[in-house]
Amino acid sequence: MKQLKFALLAISITAAGFVNATAQTADEIIQKHITAIGGADNWKKVNSLKMTASSNMQGTEIPFTITILQGKGLKVEISVSGMTGWQIMTDKTGWSYMPFGGQTKPEAIPDETLKQSQDQLDAQGALIDYKAKGTTATYLGKDDVEGTDCFKVKLTYKSGKEETMYFDATNYYHIRSVAKVKAEGKEIEITSNYSDFQKLPEGIVYAMSQEGGMTGQMKIKSVEINKPIPDDFFVYKEDAKK
Amino acid sequence: MKKQSIRLALLALLSFNIAIGQTKINSYTFGALEARWLGPGTMSGRITAIVGVNADSKTLYVGSAGGGVWKSTNAGASFKPVFDKYCMSIGAIAVDQTHPETVFVGTGESNMRNTVSIGDGMYKSTDAGDNWVKVGMDSTEHISKIIIDPKNNNIIYASAPGPLWSNSKHRGLYKSTDGGTTWNKIFYLNDSTGCADVAVDPTDPNIIYATMWEFRRFPYAFNSGGKSSGMYKSMDAGKTWKELKNGLPAKPFGRIALTLAPSAPQNMIAIVESKETGLYISSDGGETWKSQSATMNVVSRPFYFSCVVIDPKDPKRVYRPGFGFSYSDDGGYSFTDASYDGGWVHSDHHALWINPNYTNQMYLGTDGGVYFSLDRGATWMFVYNLPVGQFYHVACDNNTPYRMYGGLQDNGSWVAPSAAPGGVNNSSWQDMYGGDGFWVQPDLTDNNIAYAESQGGNMGRIDLTTFKSLDITPQAGKSEEKLRWNWNTPIVTGQTNKHNLYTAAQYLYKTTDQGRTWQKISGDLTTNDKKKQQQEESGGLSEDNTSAENHCTIFTVAESPLDENLVWAGTDDGNLQVTTDGGKTWTNVAKNYEAAGIPAQTWVSSIEPSRYDRNTVYATFDNHMYGDMNTYLAKSTDLGKTWTRIKSDDFTGFAHKIKEDLVNRNLLFLGGERGLFASIDGGNSWFRMKNHIPDYCMVRDIAIQPQTNDLVIATHGRGIMVINDISPIRALTRDVVDKDVVLFDNKPTPLTNGAYGGGGSPVSGGWYGGNPDDVQPIEYYMKNRPTQDVNVEIYDATGKLVQKIPGSKRKGINKVYWNLRWTPPKTATGGTKMDYGGFVAPMVLPGTYTVKLKVGDKDYTNQLVMVHDSKNKLFSEEDRKAQYIAAMELYHIHEQLADLVDKISTEQKTLKDNMDSVKRPQTRKLMKEYNDKLEELRSTLLATKHKSIFADEKKLREYITEVYGAICGQESKPTNLQLERITVLNDDLKKGQDNYLKLYTNYGEKTDKIVKEDKAKNKNEPRNSN
Repeated sequence: MKQLKFALLAISITAAGFVNATAQTADEIIQKHITAIGGADNWKKVNSLKMTASSNMQGTEIPFTITILQGKGLKVEISVSGMTGWQIMTDKTGWSYMPFGGQTKPEAIPDETLKQSQDQLDAQGALIDYKAKGTTATYLGKDDVEGTDCFKVKLTYKSGKEETMYFDATNYYHIRSVAKVKAEGKEIEITSNYSDFQKLPEGIVYAMSQEGGMTGQMKIKSVEINKPIPDDFFVYKEDAKK
Repeated sequence: MKKQSIRLALLALLSFNIAIGQTKINSYTFGALEARWLGPGTMSGRITAIVGVNADSKTLYVGSAGGGVWKSTNAGASFKPVFDKYCMSIGAIAVDQTHPETVFVGTGESNMRNTVSIGDGMYKSTDAGDNWVKVGMDSTEHISKIIIDPKNNNIIYASAPGPLWSNSKHRGLYKSTDGGTTWNKIFYLNDSTGCADVAVDPTDPNIIYATMWEFRRFPYAFNSGGKSSGMYKSMDAGKTWKELKNGLPAKPFGRIALTLAPSAPQNMIAIVESKETGLYISSDGGETWKSQSATMNVVSRPFYFSCVVIDPKDPKRVYRPGFGFSYSDDGGYSFTDASYDGGWVHSDHHALWINPNYTNQMYLGTDGGVYFSLDRGATWMFVYNLPVGQFYHVACDNNTPYRMYGGLQDNGSWVAPSAAPGGVNNSSWQDMYGGDGFWVQPDLTDNNIAYAESQGGNMGRIDLTTFKSLDITPQAGKSEEKLRWNWNTPIVTGQTNKHNLYTAAQYLYKTTDQGRTWQKISGDLTTNDKKKQQQEESGGLSEDNTSAENHCTIFTVAESPLDENLVWAGTDDGNLQVTTDGGKTWTNVAKNYEAAGIPAQTWVSSIEPSRYDRNTVYATFDNHMYGDMNTYLAKSTDLGKTWTRIKSDDFTGFAHKIKEDLVNRNLLFLGGERGLFASIDGGNSWFRMKNHIPDYCMVRDIAIQPQTNDLVIATHGRGIMVINDISPIRALTRDVVDKDVVLFDNKPTPLTNGAYGGGGSPVSGGWYGGNPDDVQPIEYYMKNRPTQDVNVEIYDATGKLVQKIPGSKRKGINKVYWNLRWTPPKTATGGTKMDYGGFVAPMVLPGTYTVKLKVGDKDYTNQLVMVHDSKNKLFSEEDRKAQYIAAMELYHIHEQLADLVDKISTEQKTLKDNMDSVKRPQTRKLMKEYNDKLEELRSTLLATKHKSIFADEKKLREYITEVYGAICGQESKPTNLQLERITVLNDDLKKGQDNYLKLYTNYGEKTDKIVKEDKAKNKNEPRNSN
């Protein structure tokens, strides 16, 4: 970890030196981004978040919901022709049940993957108070996403997971992420694209169209903020055995 | 001064106007037209560096001669390119083993063959290859080795042989003392002598060894060796140096490869090129050397094979990757060669990495890719997933699918279809001719014949059914000089008369009967400068005359597409000749291009006579062999009398190929050593094509296939790349570019399931190049990436929504794929298995549809005409209608079944919700009975028992899907039994509906009534408060 930090420090020095002497710092970009999406104050009020969404598969809508309780748990529920699959992650355990391919009972998410996925339990997003969360950010200069000029910032989470974020240089919206998960001896890279930015009644701006990973292109129909979530919502009965 | 500032202000104003008035067309405008990387990986390309991460033994960086850096994090199971924004020619790689996230890449291969490319400096990554920063040594052109001080990772050494084609001060041994941020040259002899190799004593890193090498290439000769070459040692980390001579042969030396045993660094091995190239061993840190007898393989071709490695743990185990692979168990006194039991190992080895944690495991880089061994190099297995082949040329035929033909550096000539069942993969490629491959030409008049060659002008006519070949090389006639064949001898088919086949030595030859008879149609078209024809003396200390230096040869030939008697020939020594009478008379226009600012005697690398105007011709010129890396492209509109040089600030690297589009006269493509460029305004402005193509890709040849409009690119290090259907590039006009959103007109779209079937199993391993799109995409242009949502909706002629598809949001051209089908039916939900019927939909019928592109709250509409696929002779339009009717019947059966199951579920839910509140046992019994009967009925309608994917439970829903899926997926009218089956299923549905009605009449009406009454009663009764 220390080595990694050292390496990141080195890159921040060299990158800043080579990319542009007058370049913004990662923190400036992140702060401008936070302002663009409604400001830290509004985001910090978000304690829970429930998204109702769907993705399109061959013309068929696959509905799902994603519920996040700040720092406590994440639950994804997917419904396909009357069957429901789900994935639960908390800070301690994770379970996945995807019966569509014949899985008959929930399976545990391996510890390392769970550890590397902890940033997903963050309803406020990784960038609000990122320093306090133990995340380091490094500005890597300008790059483009399919022709759109972007600021490129690499985040290293406390877990060691790395995520490179691309912010549209004209409006500071976060339009792409490339996350690298190194767990169980594997290295998996996931690219996600974000678009359709809408302002919610709570004053925050949310990307209502997200693409990448296992969901394909996901259209978010509604985002409910701070709706009460039952205590046992993220509990799977097998947890007791652990 | 004043005048100048006014001028500057005007210029600024002008450019400002342009900037606000016009949207720039650039790399990204067409970014959605992404190239397919067809590889293949079955023959790979030259590998120049392999380095692993010691700590995990499975992270590998592989550097290639022309394909950049590839990284594996799984010991080679898969690789990804990590250097595609930078120089493709890799000389050396180093990983800081104490902080393995830090990686250095020295660009510019140092295997100094005729076709070696050029680097542009040293790069550093501190995040394991995700991001790179250039850190210096920009002008060294070639970097051979990088060594990080094992005790202090701020200290790094890099050996730079330096420029091959010119004298230069940018060579020698470089050192960084700040972790690679800045570099200083610490050991330099003169401007023709660079540093070939460097070694650092791991036990005392102040002890440095360096070998200096005097060398130089000319277009027509190579020299390795000179009085400045030598072996040196420093005891003070490079401050002072002494030459090591004791026991070494008499000077002059050529290239010296040097290594020490990591576990006992006093033990050293050197292969010293001299008049008697030999292997030398030292056991005292290089102070004294002993000559050893060595095998042919150990000492052969020292300028090209500069790798010698000692096992990390065992000082006696020595490896010599060379022409073949040799190893020694006695410290280099004797060698044996690897066995071919694991299969043939490509010759010409340049890199070796041994896993220090398990020294049986090693990776070898050859001229034909990477191999790995698990038995200390005795046998080898090939790594099939590195598509870094170095093509020289590519040609396409007119088959469906068309075939691609091309020859590769040290890897023969190959042919593959552009599309194949399951997609183009390694096994699609066939090896058709040996040696080094260059031009391959399909005979466009005879589908079974192609022409190919190997180095030195040996060429054959190949039967494509058997791959047997017949030699058709023209021979020198009476009193003719020895024929001078270029390394990369042209074999070119006539563009006007496809029966014409040309080849050339110093003379131009033509055949019209497949090479059975040749006609010499020119005299010597070169300068015939005898000073440039001393190839037999080439090589320097080691004679090296492999035809690579042959000079004063014809290099490029082109017949006008408008006139078969108008033929152009360009030579490697600068002549550009044209005939308008089929070769009776020739005019040399070399002086004319010189007048346009292109240096004399420049290699004419390609000629492109225009297909729109007989007098117009484009040509590229390559002067890099005289140390001039400029991009030379010129155009003449008067048959070469006058030339205009075409320039662009975007150009990088010397030029190999100019290609004029087949349809749009203003569309031009330029391929060069450092990138592919395009112009849509006849060459006035250019942009780099980054369409999933590495930024500085080495593009040697470009073809456009006329039926598919595919742009086919021969890269010298990344195999064949294809951009499918460049029509959108042709169609883009200025007025489109300035609009916010444009939904393009669509060509009538054939309704098809695609050209291929297949088992559908993914390819295991190897390289997969995929297929072109099965269906024609819907295309639109967006000036900027929108922040709102983008969707595409398809409507039929009655205005009914057929399907809604998420849109793509690129700046520039976008492509969206509609699967040509309706939205799938609502199918019965529930049960224990997922039924795929809900993802299947009938294909629409031919007709006119409407595409609505929705960008935020703005709509853009256009028509989309769907037509029956007339190419499919086994499937008539009538058949299609019958198929559609049957599919739609089943679609409705599915939806009706879904309704029925919904009703059952609703009833059951009502029963369940009220069961507890019902007190009367009789009523409860009735409700339970009703629920059971409903469940019984449900279990006849869909699979409810078996959960496992391996249990094949089928009920009505699954039976409907079985025939529905079959009919929707087939391109034929339904069979008699499929149609009968629909009746059976319809009857089963009716039966289910009837049964439900009966149950509802017998139970449902009663229970509903009771539930209602109960509810009313509960409502009226006062709440019991205990």
